[in-house]
Amino acid sequence: MGRLREKGKAGAAKAYVTRSAAIKKLQCSLADFRRLCILKGIFPREPRSRKRANKGSSAPTSFYYAKDIAYLAHEPVLKKLREHKAFAKKLSRALGRGEWSSAKSLEDNKPVYRLDHIVKERYPTFVDAVRDIDDALCMIFLFASLPSNSRVPPELIENCSRLAAEWQLYVMHSRSLRKSFLSIKGVYYQAEVMDQTVTWLVPYQFTQSVSGSFKLDTKVLISLQIPADVDVRVMLTFLELYQTLLGFVFFKLYTDTGLIYPPPLDITKDEGGAGVGAFSLQDASQSAGPSTTKTKVVEVDGRKISTKDVRQTIKSINAPLGAADADVEMLGPDANAEEADEEFVVRASKSDPQASASLPTLKSLTDLPQSLSTTLFAPYTFFLSRESSRPIFEFLVRSFGGRIGWPASLGSGSPVEESDDSITHVIIDRPLVERTNETTEEREQRVRRKFVQPQWIVDCINAGKILLEEPYAQGKTLPPHLSPFGEHQGAYDPAVGLTGEGAAVEDEEEDEDEEIEGDMEEEEGADKAALKAAAEAAAVASEDPAALRAAELAAEAAGVDFGAFEKEVSKSRKASKKKAVEGSVEDAEKDMNKMMMSNKQKKLYEKMKYSQTKRDNERAVLEAKKQAIQKQKKREAKTKG
Amino acid sequence: MAVKEVTKNGKKRKQSSEDEVPVPPPAIMNGELEMLSDEEDGEDALSDDGGVDGFPEIDTRSDSGDDEFEGLDEEEDSEEEEDEQGDSSDADSLHVFPKAKTIISHITGQPKRVYPEIEPDYDSDSSTEDDPNRVGNVPMHWYDDLPHVGYDIDGKKVLRPARGDELDKFLSTVEDPSAWTSAFDKNTQTDKPLTTEELDIIRRLYAGEVPDAEYDPYEPTIEWFTGKGKEEVMPLSSAPEPKRRWVPSKWEKQKVMKIVRAIRQGRIIGSKPKTTSKFSFYSIWSEMSSSHPPPLPAPKPSLPTNSESYNPPEEYLPSEEERKEWEAQDPEDRERDYLPQKHSALRLVPAYDRFIKERFSRQLDLYLAPRIQRVKLNLDPSTLIPKLPSPSSLKPFPNYKSLKFTHTKGRARCVSVSPDGAWVVSGDESGKVSLWEVNVGREVKSWNFDSKIGALDWCPRLDVSYFVVAVEEKVHFVIPPNVPGPVLALTQSLLAPATLPPAPPTPSPVKWVTPPTSSWSIDTPILTANLPASSGLPTQVTWHRRGDYLATVSTGGTQGGVWIHQVTRRHSQAPFKKVKGAVQLVLFHPLKPHFFVATQQYVRIYNLSEQKLLKTLIPGIKWISSMDVHPSGDHLIVGGYDRKLCWFDLELSDKPYKIMRYHTRAIRSLHFHPSYPLFASSSDDGAIQIFHSRVYNDLMTDPLIVPLKILRGHEIRDGLGVLQVKWCNRQPWLVSGGADGTIASTFARSMGLLDVLAAT
Repeated sequence: MGRLREKGKAGAAKAYVTRSAAIKKLQCSLADFRRLCILKGIFPREPRSRKRANKGSSAPTSFYYAKDIAYLAHEPVLKKLREHKAFAKKLSRALGRGEWSSAKSLEDNKPVYRLDHIVKERYPTFVDAVRDIDDALCMIFLFASLPSNSRVPPELIENCSRLAAEWQLYVMHSRSLRKSFLSIKGVYYQAEVMDQTVTWLVPYQFTQSVSGSFKLDTKVLISLQIPADVDVRVMLTFLELYQTLLGFVFFKLYTDTGLIYPPPLDITKDEGGAGVGAFSLQDASQSAGPSTTKTKVVEVDGRKISTKDVRQTIKSINAPLGAADADVEMLGPDANAEEADEEFVVRASKSDPQASASLPTLKSLTDLPQSLSTTLFAPYTFFLSRESSRPIFEFLVRSFGGRIGWPASLGSGSPVEESDDSITHVIIDRPLVERTNETTEEREQRVRRKFVQPQWIVDCINAGKILLEEPYAQGKTLPPHLSPFGEHQGAYDPAVGLTGEGAAVEDEEEDEDEEIEGDMEEEEGADKAALKAAAEAAAVASEDPAALRAAELAAEAAGVDFGAFEKEVSKSRKASKKKAVEGSVEDAEKDMNKMMMSNKQKKLYEKMKYSQTKRDNERAVLEAKKQAIQKQKKREAKTKG
Repeated sequence: MAVKEVTKNGKKRKQSSEDEVPVPPPAIMNGELEMLSDEEDGEDALSDDGGVDGFPEIDTRSDSGDDEFEGLDEEEDSEEEEDEQGDSSDADSLHVFPKAKTIISHITGQPKRVYPEIEPDYDSDSSTEDDPNRVGNVPMHWYDDLPHVGYDIDGKKVLRPARGDELDKFLSTVEDPSAWTSAFDKNTQTDKPLTTEELDIIRRLYAGEVPDAEYDPYEPTIEWFTGKGKEEVMPLSSAPEPKRRWVPSKWEKQKVMKIVRAIRQGRIIGSKPKTTSKFSFYSIWSEMSSSHPPPLPAPKPSLPTNSESYNPPEEYLPSEEERKEWEAQDPEDRERDYLPQKHSALRLVPAYDRFIKERFSRQLDLYLAPRIQRVKLNLDPSTLIPKLPSPSSLKPFPNYKSLKFTHTKGRARCVSVSPDGAWVVSGDESGKVSLWEVNVGREVKSWNFDSKIGALDWCPRLDVSYFVVAVEEKVHFVIPPNVPGPVLALTQSLLAPATLPPAPPTPSPVKWVTPPTSSWSIDTPILTANLPASSGLPTQVTWHRRGDYLATVSTGGTQGGVWIHQVTRRHSQAPFKKVKGAVQLVLFHPLKPHFFVATQQYVRIYNLSEQKLLKTLIPGIKWISSMDVHPSGDHLIVGGYDRKLCWFDLELSDKPYKIMRYHTRAIRSLHFHPSYPLFASSSDDGAIQIFHSRVYNDLMTDPLIVPLKILRGHEIRDGLGVLQVKWCNRQPWLVSGGADGTIASTFARSMGLLDVLAAT
């Protein structure tokens, strides 16, 4: 007989802890625990048996891995949070006593935690980090567009918009944008960075609500506020982590491409509303010069500093520079030249001459034409008209190599003036208005340029080629805008049109329609429907003579002549019989075979069948709707014609 | 006036007034006074100089008559005190304030107010005022009962004035216009009109103002010590200023030098530059990462589909019903968190009002939702259905109804097929037993018993022909008509032999009764075994393969009702003294001397020859309803009222090899075909399910069970469907008795059957 096992000493009871137990163990408040969980990426787990994990109680609780909590207990951030608690106590005491100077010195020495070690832990490699920046980007872009208030300080908003601009600059510089989608929620962008697809969502920006123009909508303004049922603390904690993460990711991305991070911000341009243009990308190799002069200035300054200090400062200044230089050397243009020399030469194997089939080398892979042309808009110059959103289209056009200009009302820093002759396209979102008083010059300009609606840009990007401008011209009804991300397999595809069966049915119906219409124009819809219904009823009830008789009578009452009815009946009977014979035998056998399935399999089967039928239904509904719409359109065209 | 006040208010003031008294011409003597007097006096003098006077001890003759408020105030106070005491004085003395005259000053030429001279003599005291009543401040109710109210200065009684009655009082208030401005004076016990000044004070008190009309609460402050011309020019003390006032402190210097030295040596570091500067990012991924694997990345949210477009194809737009349905749903139940919308231009797209909410819920998912890794099955659901041979390849099996035979009176409870497969007997609840032919379905003969037929079964022997009918505590042995001669003779000799077998040594409670040969006819049973009283209706009769033994099970009786009867010896015995649980069914093993006993939940196998329990099978059924054993004897099927059917491989385990649940209602009956690899089950849902059940001889291959056909046709009456099914012995034909009262039907004959016949 083995050793007696005590209950609750091993297994699930030991592996899981409830949330309250975790808080007790960590000796922190619930808010701090939440903050830690967010920062460290620890989430509750679902034990296989909740009862066993909760030592027999089945009360609803959330469980964490005991190891996760043990791991949290050693977290430096937790220590800092405790320090902060002590600090808050001291500060409130000092303030209560009116000891302003001690309060000030306390405030100056406030404990601040850093998150770089957490970033390193959660994302041990750079690729891990890039894979997981989707949510971070969404949050950054959201907060960049929010107004600041008491809970959201302006510095935070500023930092978010800086990070957003840095990301856009990088994407534009590296030409890594792949897809874009204008949805009702905002604009989705998808980029490919380090072979990872990164998708982020940017809310629509409403510059017009600031200037108070015609689109000032109360709803718009409300939406920009944080709703009351949203816990801002949680969002800000996430944002804290995301800012740090993105800072490190951008640093790596920038330095890897040989750029300086952070890109310097031109304040005058920024105040002029230049947006992304306020930042200037600088090559790391060029910037090495000015920074060395800076160190000289420090020396020349003429203050009495001990040699040791000077040495220390020089060391501290040079350290990051040196690292940056190393990065540049590795990635500089010279390195490419070397690579070209070092091309892999295939040598035929002596034993097996066939084996020397082409092996993909780095060079051949990089030389391969990319599937999506990233220089789609390179030959064109665009001009935004003032009602289209500049941040969206500037980003889109510039990431695909185009030039773009905008009027001064959209911000300063436009590289192209409106009168520039090189402008090929004007992105315009206004209805067409007949202009009477325009000079010949303007007229010529207008004729030379193509006026397209904004959707054209996005559709071109998603199609990977320049589409015809004609359907997107100013004032035209736009073709539908489809998602470039695709849907699940077998879903309804609006681009393809109806599937074979549906189309066939439709054709037939159309033919019938025409015939009948030829016969009797005046009595339409109702009669046809009656005939069909009667015929179907008859087909169903074809075994039963009484039912058939009843159907006949019904048809007669609806005013259908007997010949037509007979024809219809025979047709539908044939169809139904064919279907029935094919279907019933196999179905019956299948149904019977289902008896032999185990319970588990049966449940799985039912579940799969359920989802399948649901998807099929969705598809069928969409197809039916499309058919109805098409029919209506045709009818309208006919009545017009 | 000042003097008067001082005399009233106290000694100290008296002293000061004494100081002042010898200063009638203040303007001349100012200088000396300043030098001599203490600060107060000096001030006084100064104020006189400045001409902005107003300090309490003011000289009435001073030319700055405008600013005497405080002095007046105090005066007023004293006057009021006087009033209280001297209210009894006449109207003249009630004039509290001395009347001031405004005259033009001879010296300054400015208008000034001049108060009448006060003689500081005895008369100036208020006590000199003419007050008739001189009792002083005593409670006046002392005089309530007396005709007088006090004494005058001469000691004569002051008589109580006539008060008049209430009517007079009222009349006086009505007639006298000044009545409402008069007040009762308790000293003289009369009403006295108030003066205009007193009325003014009352008005001011009512209005919440300062009672004194001339008091200015907002007068400018007078800086007595620092004001212009009032600065202290002379030191307070004549001591010389100490040195420490101008020599730098040695100790302070030492302290400072200590700090300076500490700073120089680096022991004290000057206040750090503010650490609020953002920490710079660095190449965090350049160092080696730790060896432990990264946590699993959170699942990414699904990408937007066409319906989310700002300009979707029209078919994605919701119809009115869909929109309503979506809005009526709870936000959690919604399949999509948005309704597709179509905008004709991008500039018309409004902000998405749930943007922040959605971000937040995503974050809640990230840190609050438990994550489980699920393997997504990407397979066609039809591959889950087991691949079985097609039923058409497993013919013959019954697949249509060929005959119907109706019991008109009650439910057809039981059927049995003769061993040659030509005849069927069926019994119903009204007590009628019918014999009919399988081929044409014609009733040949019927017997009527007094009560409900519990069970019947045909003797499996081929050389004799009779069947057993179990009716209320009796088991009848019946010989069918039209039996060939030799068989009939043999049957008769078996059931009613000329010489009865010897009685068993131990008497049995079961009595075997043979009616006298004379009275026997084809309509009556040839032999009857009377089960002990109150054992209940036998619900099952089952034969041993040899046809000599049969077992009956009676349920509902008071005692356990399993009996094994031996026909040749006319002997019955109860094999079990005591059985755990109520016995539902029993069965003889087809080859071995084994005996299956099904209680409510278990099936026990006994060896009859060794008289011991071999095995207990656990089907996991709540209530066993039916059971049959495969002709090979190695497999057993058990059906239950909880719709389950269990297939036991007796050589494998005491747990079912396969459990199936396909009937929608309770299983009523099961039967293996004696020769074909078929079995059938019937249920209360009115359906009969035919299975192909091939059993292999080698132990490695599992039995093959293929569902072949569902036969429907019986109606469901009172929740009961098909009550019993039986196979015909040599044909793939099935006989079933249903509760649709009266129909006992035969399902049989397929095309396959004809083929088989042709082949054999």
